[in-house]
Parts: sequence; C-alpha cells; structure tokens
Amino acid sequence: MNVAQARTDPKTETATAAATQPQDLWRVVVLNDPVNLMSYVVMVFKRVFNFDEPVARRHMMEVHEQGRSVVWRGVHEQAEAYVFTLHQWHLTAVLEADETG
Amino acid sequence: MKRVEVKLNLEAVAPLLDVIKTAADELEGRLALGVLPPGEDGELHAEWSQELVGGQESDIRILLALFGSEFFQSGVIGLDPTNCEPVLRACSALRLHLREAHLKPIDDENLESGDVPLEEMPDEQRKAFAAYVFLATLQELLVLHLDPTILEG
Repeated sequence: MNVAQARTDPKTETATAAATQPQDLWRVVVLNDPVNLMSYVVMVFKRVFNFDEPVARRHMMEVHEQGRSVVWRGVHEQAEAYVFTLHQWHLTAVLEADETG
Repeated sequence: MKRVEVKLNLEAVAPLLDVIKTAADELEGRLALGVLPPGEDGELHAEWSQELVGGQESDIRILLALFGSEFFQSGVIGLDPTNCEPVLRACSALRLHLREAHLKPIDDENLESGDVPLEEMPDEQRKAFAAYVFLATLQELLVLHLDPTILEG
C-alpha cells in the first residue's frame, strides 16, 4: 500500500480524523521553484488534476508570477493524497487549512 | 504517446552522463526536493519520505537505463509509454539536485533564461550546467510528445 492509498484507509486515518473535523476543508497549494520547466508544470497539473489546458496554464502562471497557486480544495484525505502525488513529481506543494469557506 | 527514438550526439552526451550518474549516486537515500509531509505524525513522515525516495530511485534507474550499451553503439535512446513518466520525474529530481549542489551561485533568473557566463565557470560547474540543460531538453521533448498542445501557449 502506498502513502496516498494509506491516507484513504479508515484504519490509518484515526489520528488525522481526531485532529480534523470531517467537514473541514483544506487546500493544496503549489509553490514556485526556479528549476521545473513551465511546460512540465502544466503537464503535471493536467495529469494530476485532469485540468484542461487553459486552467493548467493559468495555475502555472500564478505559481510563476505570484509564487503560489491554490490548485485544489476539499477534504483532508484527498488533499493529502494530492500533495503526495505532487511531491512524487518534485513540485513543492503544501497543505493548508481553507478558512475562506 | 508512441515509441520515440531519439538520436543523440554521442560525443556531446557521453561526458554529461558521468555528471548525471554522480548526481544519481548523491541522491541515493534522499529526496531531491526538500519537501515536508503535512502534519506532525512522525510515522507518516517516515513512511511518506521513504516512499518518495523509493519512487525517485526507481525513476532514476529507468532514466539511466536509457544510456546502456545500445546507446553507446548507436547514440539512440528509446522513449515509450512505459518509461516516459519515470524519465520526466527523474529529470526533474536530477535537475533539482544539480542546481542545489553545483549551480547555487547562479541567479535564479539567469539560470532560467540560460544567460550564464559559461567561459567564467569552473569546469565542474560548466559540466553540471550542461547536464542541467540536457535534462531540461529531454523533458521538453517528452512533454511535447505526450501533449503537443502544451507548448503552444
């Protein structure tokens, strides 16, 4: 079982569930780095989030110009799995509590 | 993506492979990107990092396998659906490491634009930069073949 799968396994979620309420929303934020190519970042966004080209490109430009982009919002387990996947692709991604909603 | 065979200039690429293999050795057992897993669960942190390192090492092995005896005979590397994603990720890991280990003195903007004073660089740094650019070129090629629309914007 990989980490991403483990995050959705109820048995392994006990500690996390205790720390977060089920209705809490989280956001996946990608931070800028000076190494990864723009085309690579667009491709990763398309593959990981199934974004279409304009959306993937908009997020990539946000990362490039503003230093960060919120690429996904939702429940903790799924957000954590996305962060893990982005780390596999060597993008700097962090998980933040979404206090906007 | 169909299988793509890329003919490389053996004389130009062979010296870069030493740099790339050294970078791969240096990355053994550690992540190219200093990312922190979310939360404060130590067990999850260890599991998270271990799995990322395992994936990174597997990806790099697949990249290095492109440059086996066949490459040294023909100068050709073969890219296909089974190796394209691992090769893309391996290029990223190795570029992150080369930047961290050898190219830190170069300003981010200049590194991105390629506007670097090659003639003023020490030999080791020049080779690292050449390997960094080569891996980026390989990534661009793969991205283009995976999704031709991606470079239009």
